[in-house]
Amino acid sequence: MNNYFVRRILQIIPVLLIISFIVFSLVFVAGDPVALMLPDDASQEDVELLRESLGLNEPFLVQYGTYVANFVQGDFGESYRYGQDAMSVVLERLPATLELAIAALLIALVISIPLGIWSATKQNSGIDLIATGAAVLGKAMPNFWLGIMLILLFSVSLSMFPVSGRGTLAHLVLPSITLGTGIAAEMTRLIRSSMIETLNQDYVRTAKSKGLKNRIVVYKHAFRNSLIPVITITALQTSTLVGGTLITETVFSWPGMGQLLIQAVNTRDMAIVQASVFVIALLVILMNLIADLLYRLLDPRIKYN
Amino acid sequence: MKKVFGLASTLLISAGVLAACGGGEEEPSATNDNGGSEDDRTLTVAMGTDMVTFDVHNHVNTSTEAIHVNMFNYLFKRDNETGEILPDLAEGYEKIDDLTWEVKLKEGVTFHNGEALDSEDVKFTLERVAHDSTLLDHINYNSIKEVEVIDDLTFRIITNAPDPALLNRISRIASSILPSEYIEENGMDHFLENPVGTGPFEFSEWIRDDRVVLEVYEDYFEGQNEEWDEVVFRVIPENSTRVSELLTGGVDLATNIPPSEWERVESNEGTHLSQETSNRTMMLFLRSTEGYPTADPKVRKALDLAIDNKAITDNLLNGAGTPTITRVAPGNFGFAEELYDTYNYDVEEAKKLLAEAGYPDGFELTFHSPRGRYLQDAEVAEMVAGMWSAIGVTANVEFMEWSSFVEMRNAGENEDVFLLALGNSMFDAANALDWYNYERFKGQIDYHNEEVEALLEAAAQNMDPEERAQQYIEAQHLLAEDTAHIVLHQESINVGVSDAIDYSPTMDEIIYVDTITKN
Repeated sequence: MNNYFVRRILQIIPVLLIISFIVFSLVFVAGDPVALMLPDDASQEDVELLRESLGLNEPFLVQYGTYVANFVQGDFGESYRYGQDAMSVVLERLPATLELAIAALLIALVISIPLGIWSATKQNSGIDLIATGAAVLGKAMPNFWLGIMLILLFSVSLSMFPVSGRGTLAHLVLPSITLGTGIAAEMTRLIRSSMIETLNQDYVRTAKSKGLKNRIVVYKHAFRNSLIPVITITALQTSTLVGGTLITETVFSWPGMGQLLIQAVNTRDMAIVQASVFVIALLVILMNLIADLLYRLLDPRIKYN
Repeated sequence: MKKVFGLASTLLISAGVLAACGGGEEEPSATNDNGGSEDDRTLTVAMGTDMVTFDVHNHVNTSTEAIHVNMFNYLFKRDNETGEILPDLAEGYEKIDDLTWEVKLKEGVTFHNGEALDSEDVKFTLERVAHDSTLLDHINYNSIKEVEVIDDLTFRIITNAPDPALLNRISRIASSILPSEYIEENGMDHFLENPVGTGPFEFSEWIRDDRVVLEVYEDYFEGQNEEWDEVVFRVIPENSTRVSELLTGGVDLATNIPPSEWERVESNEGTHLSQETSNRTMMLFLRSTEGYPTADPKVRKALDLAIDNKAITDNLLNGAGTPTITRVAPGNFGFAEELYDTYNYDVEEAKKLLAEAGYPDGFELTFHSPRGRYLQDAEVAEMVAGMWSAIGVTANVEFMEWSSFVEMRNAGENEDVFLLALGNSMFDAANALDWYNYERFKGQIDYHNEEVEALLEAAAQNMDPEERAQQYIEAQHLLAEDTAHIVLHQESINVGVSDAIDYSPTMDEIIYVDTITKN
């Protein structure tokens, strides 16, 4: 098992290198940062001058080589926009994004676990139909639309929550609901189907035939065993969560990594884009590793070779 | 049944927890947390983008400058009402010869760290931007050769060539005076984290993409601001969120309100929309390179005559925009009044001119337009294309993302027409008319008018203001007659304002907190 984890951790290195190459190429292809930095009426000469002073006139491979050489030494370069070390700008934003993501995930779990179990045990009943319908609706609502609607209802009309920004617990409510709703919807459906599958297993039938109470059968025998796919899904939601923060943070002007990344892409701030994607990739990989570790704890039959 | 209650109660408790987060003690203070209008010593301004940097020389960004002006001072400032250039940190100036300007500083001005302002600070500041070509605003300051210190409060600015626009140059973005000793002692990086200026407000904190907080500076040389103790500039990129903050009292001012939100701001009790003409002109640049139909002045004229500028400002800008046929706007040096608030529109004449130019059945052209860069840019492009179809010209409109758009232009790959809306922070015709310098945009526009160029060249170094203004006015008439480009309209500035404060936007799009008062 130790070997397995060492191997998994070593695999992170090529993955990060490949990601860095893809991101570097995409940003390179997407356009020239100098065009966005100078005034609208800058001439070709002004553009060339600035490009040269920023080292952006070098060919792609030379630029990438310089980038990788610095990157392996832990230097992500300086942000054009902030004139500061890119990684420290990104790490400054990480707590805000983690706060939002964790709150959203909690909301998603609080909604999806009871709802998923409930509709699985009442399969094809009216309640199940409503829960499944709500899940489809929750998944179908785009984040930005839901965010704006929540602001209009709870902030503008009812004055219950602040419109935007970060600070108190109240500031966290609307953005985390916005971000959590889609995930809750997805997880409800998965928990439901996972539960239905487990409830049809032989051991559940055996438990029922022994005359055990339905509650014990559902929670002790079926639910624990349906948790494994739920954990996979939760880990996989990390990327959905991060993707969601890009939009949610912009709608609620939440000063996290998502908003930073959007601004960095808009201004072609390569160093920030790279540093953010690096942190996000690392988070997603780590979450997957943790999920693997949890499998083993929950199901000792799983062996790692 | 029990289970149903169990689950229902779980859901209810979760909902309750959420509601508790927002209700109770948070409710009344929800908007106050953002320094909203309930706290009447704090002014909160919502902007669409974050400021870029505290390096006053390394940005070309109006919303960044809108914050800087409250922390720093220029040597001279432009009066937004009269357009006159007035002394700010300077006491006055004297022109020694065509290349030398002697300026005297006011006495008793101090930086926020207590350091006194002196000539060395001016030398440090102006020479930094004039000599360092990596700074974004260098291109507007490289006419300055050096600053010669005479004594603590007197210095001379020496230019490379006669520069009649010098005062305009040093009363705008990138001419905020920096504390030389503080920067030399602590380094620029330290300054960027802990900026120090001479302005009415001093730096408190900057949480990126969230807010910049300034506090009143008690020893301000023109007297402490009595209205506000604190100013908060919040970053709210999403238009509808920015408006919602204004409607709920979370902010006192919200900048850049798009036409789709005007009604919400106007109809709400306690807020209104405040508008002013900006110094930004929307134009269509026509390619005069040989081989393009637009190289023919008759075709250019026909394209201009086919556009109903007023219909654009009325329908797409809800009336907030002024049709014009010159890029030089009112309030700028060298403004040709007779070319403003007017436009050419005559479809029949346009058809006639096209036929004379050899296109009786019209022709096809490519029209590049950015989308989302300027107020209603894509909508304007579509409407213009529609108007051109009335004279048989088929415009293939290509919408482009901004940086690709700029790259295309710089590579000279632009076809017949492209749309831009250009501002002019210099408030001088020299800046606005630089587009007609053949060499500068060779291979991109290729408009060549020797008469205009001779006038512009003479005006650029003409130290007689009256004659210089006449030269620019004449150049604008020549350009209009020749339809060098098509000038559409002057954009408006649209700011949402709480009724609790008295604020009107200024043409330069800068927010001078010192001029904002409570009602």
